[in-house]
Amino acid sequence: MVFGIDPMWYAVSLFALTYFLIVTEWLNRAIVALAMACLMILGGIINQQAAFEGVDFNTLGLLTGMMLIVGVSKNSGMFQYVAIWSAKRVRARPWPLLVVLICVTALFSAFLDNVTTVLLIAPVTLLITDELRLDPYPYLFGEIFAANIGGAATLIGDPPNIMIGSATGLSFNAFLLNLGPIVLIVFGLLLVPLYLVWGRGLRTDERHRARVMAYDERGSITDPRLLKQSLFVLALVMAGFTLSHRLGLEPATIAVSGAALLLILDNLPRAADDQSKAVERAFHEVEWTTIFFFIGLFIVVHAVETTGALERLAAAIVELTAGDRTITAMAILWISAIASSIIDNIPFVATMIPMIEDMADAFGGRAQLEPLWWSLALGACLGGNGSLVGASANLIVAGFAERAGHPIRFLPFLLMAFPLMLLSILASSLYLWWRYL
Amino acid sequence: MSRRDAPGMNAAAIMECDHAVLKAHHKVRAAAECIMARRYRSVPVVDDDGHYLGVFGVNCLLRQVIPKAAIIEDGLDNLGFVNDTLADLHQRFREIETQPVSVCMSTDVPIVHPDTPLLETLLLLYRSKASLPVVERDGGLLVGVITYWGVGQKILDA
Repeated sequence: MVFGIDPMWYAVSLFALTYFLIVTEWLNRAIVALAMACLMILGGIINQQAAFEGVDFNTLGLLTGMMLIVGVSKNSGMFQYVAIWSAKRVRARPWPLLVVLICVTALFSAFLDNVTTVLLIAPVTLLITDELRLDPYPYLFGEIFAANIGGAATLIGDPPNIMIGSATGLSFNAFLLNLGPIVLIVFGLLLVPLYLVWGRGLRTDERHRARVMAYDERGSITDPRLLKQSLFVLALVMAGFTLSHRLGLEPATIAVSGAALLLILDNLPRAADDQSKAVERAFHEVEWTTIFFFIGLFIVVHAVETTGALERLAAAIVELTAGDRTITAMAILWISAIASSIIDNIPFVATMIPMIEDMADAFGGRAQLEPLWWSLALGACLGGNGSLVGASANLIVAGFAERAGHPIRFLPFLLMAFPLMLLSILASSLYLWWRYL
Repeated sequence: MSRRDAPGMNAAAIMECDHAVLKAHHKVRAAAECIMARRYRSVPVVDDDGHYLGVFGVNCLLRQVIPKAAIIEDGLDNLGFVNDTLADLHQRFREIETQPVSVCMSTDVPIVHPDTPLLETLLLLYRSKASLPVVERDGGLLVGVITYWGVGQKILDA
């Protein structure tokens, strides 16, 4: 008994309180997760050693490594270069520009985290649309969707995929081959409403287009040496992810090795004092709040898991779906999509992972769980498009839009985004059913 | 007598009372000409009753001609790829020159009160790198301005 309460109820209550505080945003989510993790240990649900065992260092290593690589390489200006180069390839015509900018966003977010992607693309978008005297809303809306859709395509594109990949051992290639096709379909589907609602009405004139065409994208490269180093390391890291199973390496090892190599290359020519400052700046790029949020959350979920509560919940779900894998996969897909459009998808996925693992026996072993993992990944990633608060990238873009004098309002966004998100989940349902069930 | 009441030890002792002031309804063009002609970095903006509203300065002008995407928080940190000419900048300025200064003045600059201690005032002046409006603690009336040149001269003359 914990303070006279059944340990399972104590853990479940703290878990519910964690969710409540994260959803209501009364306290920063990292504080909530860490405080609840401590209460789990102080209440005796798990001891410190067990708590540390619950922390998925593969996820943390992968996140930290990629944040370091992107944080250093973005200083070269290469991401702006690609965005401007792409805009010029379509001669700054409004609709093709929208298509090419969201393609770039989707591509970047498949390999970088979504927040970083929109932090790099949104300012360039605002500059170009300002130059073309165009309303940036359709472009920013499209980029929000593209970031969340693109992030669903790979193991490293979005934190839910990183967590799922780490927990299941599903490889980078497995994510790309299983989620890549549906991501392409959903992305293609997105273009239809974008064109019908905004694309066909976008107009600018020759004079404004000429100004964008006069941009010299080479001027965005601020550090050519760093650019070469970054491209080299990014190519190595991508090759490493692709060959990780053959090499017997975990994604975290590859990402952290890449980060270490880039830091070495970047700092070798510097004096000792300059190295310290540069390394400090690089580590400043790591979102430590997110990392500590993950640590706390892993402990909270692990504590609840040890009480058997998640196992019971998993059994209840299997009973509710009558042990039918198709119904279970669809339920996971739709529930995670709707939940992720309202709440943070990270705690949701952290809870779902042990629950799905507990369903292995009911469905004939771990290998049979694969469609459920894809359901969870698609639901959690694409669900983020459902509302302005569905994903961190959405709020980042909204912040940019607000500061640039073009605010994105919650309700108008919801009215357009939620049906589009449901459409993407419908397409995902058909894909999962056709391919796996 | 408290330290704040000691004569000559506060902002009131070093402020200029005859500094140029802009009214909120003045046009950006007129305001720009005012700061350019007198080589001011910034000029306080007041309402018709003399209440302090903000400052209009060289940075406000620059903010109007530099793309917003670079000025906003977390915006572009490099505009090396944009090949704008002085004519382009002039065109951007013309788009806002007939607007009142109140739409582009800065409202987040530090201010001091007449009784703000001398060294605290100088520290704020050093940190803000621009003239400091001196505003009455009660009522918000602008009573003077503290400039680098005024302070420098007063120190030399002391």
